[in-house]
Amino acid sequence: MKVLMFTWEFPPLISGGLGMACYGMVKALLAQGIKVDLVLPTKELVYFPLREESDVDTLPAVFVDPLMHKEYSRRTFTTVNERLDYIGINANPETYFSLRDIKLYAASVKKQYWLSEVVSTEEQELWDEMTTNLIGDEDLMRKVQEYTLRADRFARTLTYDLIHAHDWLTYPSGMLAKQISKKPLVVHIHATEFDRAGGPGDERVHKIEHAGMTYADMVIAVSKYTAQMIMSRYRIDTGKIRIIHNAFSIPVDTVLTKQRIFKGPTVLFLGRVTLQKGPDYFLDIASKVLKVHPEARFIVAGTGDMSRHLLRKSAAMRLKNKFLFTGFLNRKQVERILRAADIYVLPSVSEPFGISPLEAMAFGITSIISKQSGVAEVVHHAFKIDYWDIDLWAETINHLIENPDKCKKMGIDGMEEVNRIQWDEAAEKIRHLYSSVLAEFIRRPLN
Amino acid sequence: MLNIVFYFQVHQPYRLNHFNVLDIGRDTELFDDKLNGLVMRKVAEKCYLPTNKLLLDLIKQSEGRFKIAYSITGTAIEQFKLYSPETLDSFKRLVDTGCVEIMGETYFHSLAFLYDTNEFLDQVAMHRDLMQKEFGYYTTTFRNTELIYQDRLSDLIYEVEGFNTIVTEGVDRILQWRTPLYAYKNYSKDINLLLKYYQLADDIAFRFSNRDWPEFPLTVQKFVSWIDHLTLAEKGGKNQFLNLFMDYETFGEHQWASSGIFDFMKYFPKEVLARPHLGFATPKETTELANYQQESLSFPQPVSWADEERDLSAWLENDMQKNAIETLYELFDKIKQKGDPELLRTARLLSTSDHFYYMCSKYFQDGDVHKYFSPYDSPDQAYTYFITALAELEERILG
Repeated sequence: MKVLMFTWEFPPLISGGLGMACYGMVKALLAQGIKVDLVLPTKELVYFPLREESDVDTLPAVFVDPLMHKEYSRRTFTTVNERLDYIGINANPETYFSLRDIKLYAASVKKQYWLSEVVSTEEQELWDEMTTNLIGDEDLMRKVQEYTLRADRFARTLTYDLIHAHDWLTYPSGMLAKQISKKPLVVHIHATEFDRAGGPGDERVHKIEHAGMTYADMVIAVSKYTAQMIMSRYRIDTGKIRIIHNAFSIPVDTVLTKQRIFKGPTVLFLGRVTLQKGPDYFLDIASKVLKVHPEARFIVAGTGDMSRHLLRKSAAMRLKNKFLFTGFLNRKQVERILRAADIYVLPSVSEPFGISPLEAMAFGITSIISKQSGVAEVVHHAFKIDYWDIDLWAETINHLIENPDKCKKMGIDGMEEVNRIQWDEAAEKIRHLYSSVLAEFIRRPLN
Repeated sequence: MLNIVFYFQVHQPYRLNHFNVLDIGRDTELFDDKLNGLVMRKVAEKCYLPTNKLLLDLIKQSEGRFKIAYSITGTAIEQFKLYSPETLDSFKRLVDTGCVEIMGETYFHSLAFLYDTNEFLDQVAMHRDLMQKEFGYYTTTFRNTELIYQDRLSDLIYEVEGFNTIVTEGVDRILQWRTPLYAYKNYSKDINLLLKYYQLADDIAFRFSNRDWPEFPLTVQKFVSWIDHLTLAEKGGKNQFLNLFMDYETFGEHQWASSGIFDFMKYFPKEVLARPHLGFATPKETTELANYQQESLSFPQPVSWADEERDLSAWLENDMQKNAIETLYELFDKIKQKGDPELLRTARLLSTSDHFYYMCSKYFQDGDVHKYFSPYDSPDQAYTYFITALAELEERILG
């Protein structure tokens, strides 16, 4: 079985949980004998034919243009990163294909060209919904447009049994590939616009999400929480939705041993500093705890659109040198901050899943997670609190600081629990889902 | 007679490293030695060395009639020794002429006066010792960081033996109808006060190379004619003092050599000394020269020479600045209880006012002077490094 997979993130090209989830999932799928042709927002027009487990780390690439591929094959690269640089993947999301390239490419393809192959009026409506909303001059929208135009090439030149697209950025590509190939489409919901925006969000994105999910043959939600969201907010046919929880596999070279930075208890917020993740709640919690335990340290690891607001507010609240910011951290630095933390908190306002608590638990850190998160459905050895219940968050942290043995035990229990939540299980569920979609597809009469 | 009192501020801070949470507890160097060395060598080459040479020549040519005063911070002296010893030597040669006064201030160019009286007095004493050691000079005129002054400062300085004069800004809201051309007394009539004549001082320090300024270009003749004008109001034979206080880096660094600032300075003393009613004096000479009953002035609120506001807002306006400085002075108490000299020195290097100046967000959007002087991209960044460094310092105290 071979899958054409579209995703916006994959290590080393990563800004959040999506990339980590895709990595773990694809690796486990490969182990189960499924072949994956991966398409990423690379600078060059390439795809990644992944066949073996180890391919997720080496990322073998093929240029769509045979001449360019010939030149690429002739080159020798000393490191994987050097090769990935050549293709145009980088840990830094700003380096996705440049806007200049987009202009050149967009001019060469016409939207009507796709629509000529649309059949039913129902399909036509969904197409209109997607194409009329895939507009805008923002960097991200332009990049999605470009990515979608390129999907046309992949959809026509590659052979595959089904299509798998992750999050709205790649739904237009998934729809296009289905349209061209008539192969079944699975869309994967890691987060909806409601989660990201913490409110209504961008109308265009909603429409694209709706069109993609409706056009798909099967929708995978990363949690019950997300499935509920999809049903109530997007009115997606419940029969199409499958819940497959994310998992977490810790990279083998990870060093887990504790290495303190602070002598006092260290409480960690790790993630994008954006409304969805509840960083302002973290600040209020810190302020409460510090009144009782001034020896505690609160660390914000990550950056985002609320960093500046949070920094200035923490100063206004006079949290002294107890509330600190690391700024953007790379993989190795994230590991170091995790090794230094005692308590992890995820006060997300809305979290479809949330892989980062699993990572924290894998380090033996006692975790407190928002009830408004998918991850709360899969772990038991963590405290679960409504994101808005600041008093309870503060009390819980105080309690853990005052009972270090209990805190430690909870951390160890959590660690054991997380080690059992492996991607193999989730991948097996995905494989079953692929099979049933394909079986259905084969039985379906061609119109 | 009108005496021109030149005082030049010489200061370089120890700029902080881009200090991250992950650097805490790893014996990472707090200060950016590389950058500090780079800046010191650059400023020495562009400003200190050529200006010192010029002023030394002018003193010699004038046969001692051209006089100037310096206030040189401890952190500047230390960094001269590290990165530009020839600069320190050239200052010593200037002091040797006898026409140069060295003034007293806080060793670390700090805001300790506002937060910690004992620490302030310690830093003042350290600075006096250093001046004695390096230049053999006993300071008698005091200059607080950034000319920050308030009645309480005169109380403190009066208690320190030897000081009899303080220099500060000629702020309009204090002077009102008065002119800064006379020497005043502090509110209790114990200390001699000299007030900066900011209109003319800033013509040199800030406006000299500004092409949008209607008076551009500023020639020596024009400037001296303005000074001539100032003497007309005084008919009673009282000695006047035109206090031109400015950063020394004005010469060659803030105003580049290509602006003609060195030529301006080269011909200025000659033009002044050609007039019998004009001359030069050092701040400490003013106590003798003031041939009249000096009016006393009260400064209930602090003033400074920074920005339009001439108050403390360049260092202590926003929450980042306040949180940072309050946290720092709390740590001072802990360190003094512990009695660790190395930690105390680190805290003192962090007390340099520049760190708080970099966090100023008042004009940042306009890319104003704050940005020009800041080694960081934004006030937020400056604050982040500083507060993280304070976390490191606290861990060292606990450790």
